[in-house]
Amino acid sequence: MASDLAYGLLPDHLLLALLLVLMLLETIGAREGIASVLLRFALLGACAVLWQQIATGYAAEPLPGEIRIDRFALLAKLVILACGLLWSLVSPRGTYKSAFLAGSSLLGALVIMDSAGFVLFFLGIEMLSLPAFALIVHGAGRGTAAEGAFKYLLLSAVASATMLFGIALGYGATGSLAMAPFADAVHTGAPPAVAAGLLVASGLFLKAAVFPFHGWAPDAYSGARLQVTGLLASVVKGTVILALVRIFGTVGLNAETTAIITVLAMLSIFYGNFAAIRQRSFKRLIAYSSIAHAGYMVFALVDTTGGHASDLLWYVAIYASTVIVACAAFAVLCPGEGDDVQALDGAFRARPVTALVFGLAMLSLAGIPPLPGFFAKLFVFTSVVASGYLAAASVAFVGSFIGVTYYLALSFRLFAGDVQSAPAERVPLRGEP
Amino acid sequence: MGEATVPLLLLVVPLLGAIVAALSARESWLARASTMVAMLVVLALALRLFLAYEPAADASPFDFNLPWMPALGINLHFAVDGFNVYLVLLAALLFPAVLGCTWGSAHTPRRLYLVLMLVLESSLLGTFLAQNVVLFFVFWEAVLIPTGVLILVYGGERRQRAAITFFLYTMAGSVLLLAAVIGLGAEALRQTGTWSFELGVLYGLRLDWNMQMFVFIAIMLACLVKVPLVPFHAWLPLAYYEAPPAVTALMAGALSKMGAYGILKLALPLAPDVAAAAGPAMAALAVTSLLYGAVLALREENYKKLIAYSSLSHMGYVVLGLFTLREVAVHGALLQMLSHGVAVVGLFALLGMLEQRLGPSYRHVTALSTAAPRFAIWLMLFVLTTVALPLTSGFTAEFLILFGAFAQGLAAWQAQAGTLQLTAALLAVTGMVLGATYMLRFARAILFGVDAGAHRIADLRPAETASLLPLLLVILVIGIAPAAVMSKAQSVATQLAPARTLAAPVPPALPAAPALASIGSTHGK
Repeated sequence: MASDLAYGLLPDHLLLALLLVLMLLETIGAREGIASVLLRFALLGACAVLWQQIATGYAAEPLPGEIRIDRFALLAKLVILACGLLWSLVSPRGTYKSAFLAGSSLLGALVIMDSAGFVLFFLGIEMLSLPAFALIVHGAGRGTAAEGAFKYLLLSAVASATMLFGIALGYGATGSLAMAPFADAVHTGAPPAVAAGLLVASGLFLKAAVFPFHGWAPDAYSGARLQVTGLLASVVKGTVILALVRIFGTVGLNAETTAIITVLAMLSIFYGNFAAIRQRSFKRLIAYSSIAHAGYMVFALVDTTGGHASDLLWYVAIYASTVIVACAAFAVLCPGEGDDVQALDGAFRARPVTALVFGLAMLSLAGIPPLPGFFAKLFVFTSVVASGYLAAASVAFVGSFIGVTYYLALSFRLFAGDVQSAPAERVPLRGEP
Repeated sequence: MGEATVPLLLLVVPLLGAIVAALSARESWLARASTMVAMLVVLALALRLFLAYEPAADASPFDFNLPWMPALGINLHFAVDGFNVYLVLLAALLFPAVLGCTWGSAHTPRRLYLVLMLVLESSLLGTFLAQNVVLFFVFWEAVLIPTGVLILVYGGERRQRAAITFFLYTMAGSVLLLAAVIGLGAEALRQTGTWSFELGVLYGLRLDWNMQMFVFIAIMLACLVKVPLVPFHAWLPLAYYEAPPAVTALMAGALSKMGAYGILKLALPLAPDVAAAAGPAMAALAVTSLLYGAVLALREENYKKLIAYSSLSHMGYVVLGLFTLREVAVHGALLQMLSHGVAVVGLFALLGMLEQRLGPSYRHVTALSTAAPRFAIWLMLFVLTTVALPLTSGFTAEFLILFGAFAQGLAAWQAQAGTLQLTAALLAVTGMVLGATYMLRFARAILFGVDAGAHRIADLRPAETASLLPLLLVILVIGIAPAAVMSKAQSVATQLAPARTLAAPVPPALPAAPALASIGSTHGK
């Protein structure tokens, strides 16, 4: 038991130790540069531990009904930490505070995945979001950042309240704070349990910025620095989606909840993609595109075959790493704080490799094969179609096509204004429009 | 092992060439050389494959199958069969020919250009060779990326618009295709208990009418945009006109065949009942497209656009042949893909060479027959193929298609099933006359005008002639002795033909289909 608490939660302990060390180092005034290095090493160590645990098929329940470490938890933790590691590798070196905040947000994500009961789960959710508010403001030095963070904070508080209400209703219906009976109750579809499930789900939808709970996302994302936007759109959002899987498990939802989720997913996909088309600011574009992607991910929850747990792990891993890479590449292509997409024009000539990476990341987000983003979508949609939602999936495909337009426009911008490569002899003549 | 890996090698060799080209120094000879070598190796492999392919054998030895995502039944499965045996050869032939013809153009030394060409070749061959429908879709869409970027970077004045239009149009067509693909996999799960996207398994499924309808509509939308047929062709003039000459040639010659191949490989076998029911309507649509393209070509002054519209018209024949659902017409459609691919590439390549030599003033060029006689002879050869002169491949193909369409139309008429098909066949013949008119008008304008003495045109260089020679070879072989080529695809023609009985019962007065096929296959000897 005690060894499970030590070994099973070793990644969490590593991150906690990192946070303590960071605080200590800041008080004694050590060099700032060491913060990101420590963050990277801690994440690498935690990933290695998780890899080892997965390879040996480790599973334990150190606190029954509160902490359960199973294969999904391990995989989800690995996905989240690996994305966090990728993020820390590609973003510029930060201060102690930014490393501390990012680390504690990731620790919150680990706690969510470890939890088997709602007490720990709620702690984890708050630990995930609270540092994120600070991270948005930290180092941004702009009023808009504070505005975005404040919006996020207020709506997150509403989300937490909604979730707590749902948890309380669930406690009333099942007499337990554990997740497994809650998921079973939601599956059977008794009215109080349905209400509880919907309340918990809407709280998480708000955190994941699913339409119509998305209002905070564009402001919060555009106020923050680009690398923070990358973290919010990838790791934080992915964690919330995986938290939904953690709560509802793979038993499937009842018909009412499924119908509502389908509608919300479709609205999210269409709204996010339509709104993203008009954006000139890259961060806002990422915000709207992440609303659409939240739609695809939430759509996976209607699956009844049980495949959505692994589908969503794939989706989150691929989507999050793509967004992180895209944000990092954008930062290289357009140095400075500006994030107008016009800055990408003709970037291929100046930095071909980075431009190519950015272009491929965009096409991958659009879901164009043979890029990874396509397979992420394919997995989700195979489960959904196998559950009998072919019509809804077709609608979602139409929505994703709308998304292609702006991703494509972004990646085509890289080659725009490339005058020299246009052969000189090709000039339109005689009445050619 | 050896033979099974040939289909995979066809895809890998261009990619290896692309890697070498990408790593070579800027504008070095190595990039061009590695590209050409890779394309020639692919051509050699494809030729070997074409010659060794035995349609009679139960299982093709050229079958590469490797589990990729076994839980979902997605395999890396590439094989040669009667459906793709022509097209693989065509694609493998066109790439080096086009590169050879544009060897001296301004962007051939550029690494990005060469890499994209090789990636395009690999993904195009992948589309043709894939025997797993997910894999097919992956390659089908992957083709768009290099094509789009090639137009975008190396195209004409309005290249950005052309690239976006092309990309979005073709993507829009295939939006539902992925839904259909996944739907088919789920149907396999329902009927056999395991996920499978293998075409071999999917062909064996029993789809109900609604599912067939969905699959048919989804596939046809994707394919008709790619071909394209008339209401879906809006991207074509802009993309063909703005693309660099080599890409225009490849789009018309090879990429348009993807659409026809999709109909042949997916729509007809997977939704046979709906295909048979929709056959007359599709044939009518094809004829509309055929006439529309011909009429536009008649009125077009711009050479490149004229050939683009003629291409639209000729692809109409292919779709007409496929939806006639008769053995002889399917043979004709397959040959027409090959013949049109070769002829249109020849025409676009020659126009590209003119453009390369003269710049924008190539559009006023005339009296080519005196200024550059070899150029003129080659141009005339391809023009004659396009107007379906006997002894060229164009004649064999279009004759078989019209023959089949007539037989089917008459059968439908005699069976009191309406005159739509007969009318369509009659109108399709008009298309042939129109085709001769606009192509000869084009030839007269460019070859035999009054030379003001302004143009000094370098005649064809030996390297360019050598690139065009294989195209001529294909034209003559199909035109003179098509039977040997046709035997490779016999299995496909017989497999698709029985579906016609569902559309309209054949009255006993007409000879049976195999007899027609033998007439068609021997007429040119």
